[in-house]
Amino acid sequence: MDKKNIHNIIALANELRWKIGDDFHDNLAEGIYADAAEIVEDAIIDKNRDRKERLDNKIDRIVTSRVWGFPIMFSILALVLWITIKGANYPSAFLADILLGDVRPMLKSFAASLNFPWWLSGFLIDGVYLAVAWVIAVMLPPMAIFFPLFTLLEDFGYLPRVAFNLDYLFKKSGAHGKQALTMSMGFGCNAAGVVATRIIDSPRERLIAIITNNFSLCNGRWPTQILLATIFIGAVVPASLSSIVSLGAVFGIAVLGIFFMFFVSWALSKTLLKGEVSTFNLELPPYRPPDFWRTIYTSIIDRTLIVLWRAIVFAAPAGAVIWLISNLYIGEQSIAAWMIHYLDGFGFLIGLNGVILLAYIVAIPANEIVIPTILMLTVLVTGLNVGEGAGVMFELDSVNDTASVLKAGGWTLLTAINVMLFSLLHNPCSTTIYTIYKETKSMKWTVLASILPVIIGFVVTFVVAQLWRIFVN
Amino acid sequence: MYFCVNRKGKYLKFIMYSYNPTYALLIFIVVSMVLFLLFRPNRGLFWKIRSVYRVDDKIVIEDILKQLYHSEDKQIGINFLVNALGYRDSIIISGIDKMIDGNLVYFEGEYLKLTEEGHDYALKIVRVHRLWERYLAEKTGFDKSEWHGIAEQKEHETDDEEAGKLASSLGNPIFDPHGDPIPTISGKIAELDSIPLSGLKVGDIGKIINIDDNPEIIYKQILAENIHIGSQIKVLENNSTRVTFYSEGEEYRLAPIVAANIKVSIVNTPEEILEDNVIRLTGLKPDEKAIIEGISKESRGDSRRRLLDLGFVKGAEISIDLVNPFGEPTAYFVKGTTIALRDDQARKILIKKD
Repeated sequence: MDKKNIHNIIALANELRWKIGDDFHDNLAEGIYADAAEIVEDAIIDKNRDRKERLDNKIDRIVTSRVWGFPIMFSILALVLWITIKGANYPSAFLADILLGDVRPMLKSFAASLNFPWWLSGFLIDGVYLAVAWVIAVMLPPMAIFFPLFTLLEDFGYLPRVAFNLDYLFKKSGAHGKQALTMSMGFGCNAAGVVATRIIDSPRERLIAIITNNFSLCNGRWPTQILLATIFIGAVVPASLSSIVSLGAVFGIAVLGIFFMFFVSWALSKTLLKGEVSTFNLELPPYRPPDFWRTIYTSIIDRTLIVLWRAIVFAAPAGAVIWLISNLYIGEQSIAAWMIHYLDGFGFLIGLNGVILLAYIVAIPANEIVIPTILMLTVLVTGLNVGEGAGVMFELDSVNDTASVLKAGGWTLLTAINVMLFSLLHNPCSTTIYTIYKETKSMKWTVLASILPVIIGFVVTFVVAQLWRIFVN
Repeated sequence: MYFCVNRKGKYLKFIMYSYNPTYALLIFIVVSMVLFLLFRPNRGLFWKIRSVYRVDDKIVIEDILKQLYHSEDKQIGINFLVNALGYRDSIIISGIDKMIDGNLVYFEGEYLKLTEEGHDYALKIVRVHRLWERYLAEKTGFDKSEWHGIAEQKEHETDDEEAGKLASSLGNPIFDPHGDPIPTISGKIAELDSIPLSGLKVGDIGKIINIDDNPEIIYKQILAENIHIGSQIKVLENNSTRVTFYSEGEEYRLAPIVAANIKVSIVNTPEEILEDNVIRLTGLKPDEKAIIEGISKESRGDSRRRLLDLGFVKGAEISIDLVNPFGEPTAYFVKGTTIALRDDQARKILIKKD
C-alpha cells in the first residue's frame, strides 16, 4: 500500500470515530458486563435472593440502627481495649521477670566469666540486649491479645458495619469510612494500623488513613498516659476522685487524637492529596462464624510477629545508642548530658525539658521505652541514687517512687500535661515509619507522615505552655 | 521560678532572662499568620508572586491566541485582551508585536485577526487544554471546578510529543469532560450539533452534551444543581425569567442566563426517548425495587469501572438494603451482595422503577 492510501484510511477511521461518538467504549464495556451478568443469571442459582428474611439482615438492622448502632460499636471497642491493656499486664510482667530478671544477670555473669571488659558487656547487655528484651516484654503480650480479638471481629463481618455507620463523619473530612477500622487498629499498634489500610482501595483515602494513623493512641502509649495521669493529674483532685479524673484525662487525650485525625484528614484531602484518585464503595459481606484457630494463627504470625520483628530490628541499635550516649564522655560530661543541656532551652519553651526530648529522640524504635529512658536520663543528670547506672533503662515498681524521680527531674503538672500531649502528637515509632514506607513506596509521604505530627506536637505543647504560664502560673 | 535541668548553660540563662510567655505567644501568632498569608492554598501571596514571575512571552502569546480563537466572530482589540486576560498593557503589546513578527496575527483596522498559522497554533493549545481536562477527569481526583485552572497551566508546559502521549494514553478521546470536542492532531474538530438549553421550546426533549466551564461563577452554579452531561431532559417551562425542565426524576429551575451555558442536542428518534420512570438511584425508596438502566457519563475512570465490577450493570435488579443512621451512605442489594454507596455516586446511576 502506498502512503496516500494509508493516509486515507486513517482519515476515514478518524471520521468514523467522530460518528460513533464518545460513548462507544463505555457502551461496549457495559454491554459485555451486562451479557456476563445474564449468563451468570442463567447458570447460578442464587440463594441470597430472599435476604430480607435472613438472619444477616436482622443483625444488620440492629447494628446499624440509630439507637443501637453507636452504643454497640463503642462498647465493643472499649471492651477490646480494656481486655488488651488489663490482660497484657500479667504476661508482660512474666516476660519481664524472665528476660530482665533472670536472663540478664545470667548473661552478665557469663560475660564476666569470659572476662569481657566492662564497656563490652555494658554495650551488649545493658544496651542492645536490654532494649530488645524490653521491647519484647512490653510489646508482645498486648499485640498477641489485641490482634486476634480484632481479627475475630473482622472475620465475623462486624467491622464493615462500623465503617458503614461512621462513613458520613469520615466523608466530611474527605476520608473513607473504613478509616474507622484502621484507626481502631491503630489503638493497638500504628504499624499494624498502617498495614490494615490495605482494605481501603481508593488511593487518596488510603494515603489519608496511613498518614493520620499515628493520631490513634497506640498500645505503647496508653501506659505512659495512664502513669502520668495517675501521678500528676490524679493528684490535683481529692483522692476519692483521683482515679476517675486520671482515667478521664487519658480518655480525653485519646479523643483529642481522634479530633486531630479528622482535622488532618480534612486538611490533607483539601490540599496535598486533592489530586489523588478517589473512589468509594463498601461491601457489606454476609456474617459468618470466624474460623477461630486459623484466625489466631494468622493474626499471631501475620501481624504480631512481623511487627514485633520490625520493632526488634530497630530496638537493638537504639539500645546501643542509649547506652553509648550515656557512657561516652566529651570533656567532663557524657554525650547525653551535653545533648540534654542543649535541648533544655527548646524543651523549656514548649513546657518540656531536655531529658524528655532526648528520650523521644533515642527511644524512636518503640514508645514503650520512652518512660524507662526518661527515668534513666533523669537519674543521670540529677545524680539521684536509684536505677542501675548510666545507660541502663529501668522502671520502678512503685508509682510513688517514679513520681519522686520525675519530680526531682523538675516535673510540674504542666510538664506532665505536655508530655501526655507530646506522647500523642509526635513522630511515629521507627517500626511504623518503616511500615509506612513499605506500604506507600514513597519517600515523600513517609517523610510527611513522620514530620507532620511532631510539628503539630510542638505547636500544641508550645501554646499550652505559654497559656499555662500566663494564666495559671 | 521555672526549673530547668542546667549545669552551666549560658544560653539557657539567656532564654530564662529574656523569656516572657506573652511575648513568645505573640511572636508565634504573628509568625503563623504571616506563614498562612504566604502559603494558604491557592490564594497565598507566595503562589501569586510565583505565578507572576512565571509569566513569559510564550504564555502571553498562547493566551492571546486562545482568546482570539474562542471569539473569532467578534471584533477583538487590545483593550479587550487586557480586560480578558488580566496582564499589563505593556506585556500584551510586546506579545502582539512578537506575534506579528511570527506571522501569527495581523491587524485589520484596530482589530486583531488570526492568520492561518495562528489558527493552527491556537487549535493546538485548545487540543492540549482539553486533553488535560480529560486526563484530570479520568486519572486524578481533582474536583471538577479545578480542572480548568490546572489545564490552563499545563497547556503551556506540554510539547507536541507529550500531548501525543497524553492523547494515546487516554485512548485518543474526542470530547473533553465538559462535552467540548478535542481537535485532532491534524487540526480537525468535530462540529457540535447543539443548541443552548434556553433556546428549547416547551415539550422539547434533549440530551445534555456540553456544559460550558466559562464563566466560572455560572459553571459552579450548574455543578451545585447536580446536572450531568448525558442526561436526558424535557422542557416544562421556558420564559424570560426561568427555564424549568424535568430530568431523571427531578425538576430543575434555572435562570435563562445559566441555562444558556448548557448545550443540548434534540432527541428525535422515539426509541432514544427515556420513559418518565427512569430516575436516579437516589430517588429509590426503601422497599421499592428497580432495574438499573445505566451509569451516567459523569462517573468516570476508576469509579466507573469499580461500579461495573460490583455489578451495577444494565438490567440488574436493585433495592435498598440498609439505611444509614446518618442518612448516607445507603446500602443497596444488588446481584446478591450488599454494597454501600454515597449519594454523589448513587446520583450517577440511573434506574427504572417498576
